[in-house]
Amino acid sequence: MSSTTAPSGLSRARRGLAPGGSGASPGRKSKLSAQTTRTFFWLLLPSVVLLVLIHGYPLIHAAVQATHDGDLLQTGNFVGGENFANVLSSPAFWKAAQFTLWFTIVGVFGSWLVGLGLALLLRTKIPAGNTFKVLLLLPWVVPIVVSSTAWNWLVATPDSLIPSIFRGLGLGTPLFLADPTLASITVMVFKVWVSFPFMMMMISAALASVDTTVYEAASMDGASKWQQFTQITLPLIARSTYISWILMTIFCVNDFPTIYLLTGGGPVSATTSLVVLAYRTVFQDFATGPGVAIAFLMTMTLVVISVILYRQIRKSSVE
Amino acid sequence: MNVQSAATRSFSRRNFLGLTAAAASVPLLAACGGGSASQGGGGGAGGTIKFWDMPWATPAYNDSAKKIAEGFSGANNAKANYQIIQWNNFYQTFSSAIASKTGPAVSTGGGFQAFQFEQQGQIAYADKVIEKMKSNGQFDDFLPGVLDPFKSDKGYVAVPWQLDMRVFWYRKSLFEKANVALPTDWPSLLEAGKALKKVGAFGFATGAGSGNNYGNHSMIMMMVNNGGGVWSKDGELDLLNDRNVEAMEFVLELVSNGIVDPAAVSYTTDNMSAQWKDGKAGFGLFQVNVPQRVGDTSGDLLVADPITGPHGDKATIVFPNNIMMYKNTPSQEASEEFLVYYLGQLKELWKQKLMSALPVFKSITEIPEFADDPNNVKIVKDWQPIAKTFASQGSTLNANLAALDGGQALNQFSQSILTGQATDAKTALQTFQSGLESVLKK
Repeated sequence: MSSTTAPSGLSRARRGLAPGGSGASPGRKSKLSAQTTRTFFWLLLPSVVLLVLIHGYPLIHAAVQATHDGDLLQTGNFVGGENFANVLSSPAFWKAAQFTLWFTIVGVFGSWLVGLGLALLLRTKIPAGNTFKVLLLLPWVVPIVVSSTAWNWLVATPDSLIPSIFRGLGLGTPLFLADPTLASITVMVFKVWVSFPFMMMMISAALASVDTTVYEAASMDGASKWQQFTQITLPLIARSTYISWILMTIFCVNDFPTIYLLTGGGPVSATTSLVVLAYRTVFQDFATGPGVAIAFLMTMTLVVISVILYRQIRKSSVE
Repeated sequence: MNVQSAATRSFSRRNFLGLTAAAASVPLLAACGGGSASQGGGGGAGGTIKFWDMPWATPAYNDSAKKIAEGFSGANNAKANYQIIQWNNFYQTFSSAIASKTGPAVSTGGGFQAFQFEQQGQIAYADKVIEKMKSNGQFDDFLPGVLDPFKSDKGYVAVPWQLDMRVFWYRKSLFEKANVALPTDWPSLLEAGKALKKVGAFGFATGAGSGNNYGNHSMIMMMVNNGGGVWSKDGELDLLNDRNVEAMEFVLELVSNGIVDPAAVSYTTDNMSAQWKDGKAGFGLFQVNVPQRVGDTSGDLLVADPITGPHGDKATIVFPNNIMMYKNTPSQEASEEFLVYYLGQLKELWKQKLMSALPVFKSITEIPEFADDPNNVKIVKDWQPIAKTFASQGSTLNANLAALDGGQALNQFSQSILTGQATDAKTALQTFQSGLESVLKK
């Protein structure tokens, strides 16, 4: 008969003691504990210092800039929340916020839908599937400077390839980057094109972990393909889906090059997102305080969205 | 007891923590040490002058500029080293470096950068450089009026070294095809535009897409060409003056008549160059050396005559790019000596045909490599004398111009005009003025 009961065994295991090990005497326990705490403290200290330097210092510096009227070299005078108030009362901010919202919604769900469709397609046995997979990764792999230049040449002028095709089909000559509405749509489509391979890979990895016998059982129970997709596939990949949504939301909200290289935020601010507005405010208008205030507001919004989605991940894990 | 166990015992937890702390402190110490080495160290009492330069042209330009800079040998064994700073986020690069005392001693940079850093007390005035240039004869070699915009109340903020001119170019064959004369004033510009439209070309070629400021420059040029400008003679914002309103009404007329390419609002400089190359652009504002830039040296692309505004004004805009000195230098004397030396060597850059800008010195405009091109000669003869800066109607450059050039207010204004979204010039100018007022330093 073992001298160690199950609960006490667990407790010993948590303390790192093997079965039969004597461990420290009760009198020594507190001393060891204090030593361990000190050791942990000293081991953690370098990381904590580095984290404070890497994240804390810029954050504090940015907070100082957002509450002052200075520039990149000088702090300037303390203005409290004036920069935030000015930003929040500016129509340009709300226009940019609106575009950012649409850009993010289309970017996240558009790329997710395309990625999901292709991941499901690649799960089936198709000829040269692996080659196909590699080719589909290209939009994600190619540097954004290169792909934005390519897209520019495809759509920028009335004689570019895509407008020429439209003209050939008798659909007029759309000005994809010069018309405010079309420019917004073009930028969003470009974002989906750049991002779907990431979604495809995330979902492919999640699908690979789903046991195929679940589908066999569902088929035997008479579940249709659609029911299998909605009742089995989607719930089983929910965790990966939420993670990919969080990441893609962050990618979209913080996406500067996709927009800036293609349209520069124009025409007439039609494609100016918050990050582009922050950049232009700081580096083109040289108004550091308001620009950093915009960045702060963006960060806060992203944290809130991330927390909400993270809760969904935990919920889906429990389920 | 084996050797390993002895080593393990001797390497106690305290030793381990000490080593960890030492390792962690290395980057901190390295970061702290950066400032003291900011000027490259050594080089005798003259020290090493850090010269930062921008990619003003092809990489061959930077190779030559580097050779010139590093050929400097001043008093007290003073030397210079050369570093290229990319245009992307250049102001941030300069600001960060200057704030951490690791910036250059001498640099080129943005057109109004010297005035921005002067406002922040970082610029060393160039009065002694000008004195030296007076004594060695270089001063008299400046083209007329190029130095004046740099003289502030406290002294010369920088010294110009090249002129980024905006001049009208045209494609000769398109004018022949359209059977129309070259414009000499605004009504003939309108008529030429209408004729060019019939042959599938645009008579007011421009672009205002990502990173392209030619659309902005075209707007300001038309204001200045009508005796207007963004500022009053006293340097106050004066966008709503009658001349500006009249000029913008005229540009809106060009837009509504289809003389401006409807896609121009989104054109990058590459798109613009392609339009010129493909024979879609018949007439429009561009820089020096357009044939080389767009890749058509057939002789069909030519510099036009300046056009006259409705009140008899004749003007264009110019960006006098400049070299500035900073207070953070190993030796102010060496900085000045280097600047005088570098300005004296500029001829090499034009001799090698590396520049897409006008030189500031008359002697360089006379070298065969420059004067062999009739377009260059025409720009020097006809356009440079009527060129005004962004400070127009005022005359002295200032830090606020940086927020104007490339800033959101001007960009939005130009795009609203080019898209025809602005139906009323005065309202568009009012919005422009409000936008500028909100970002200008009081």
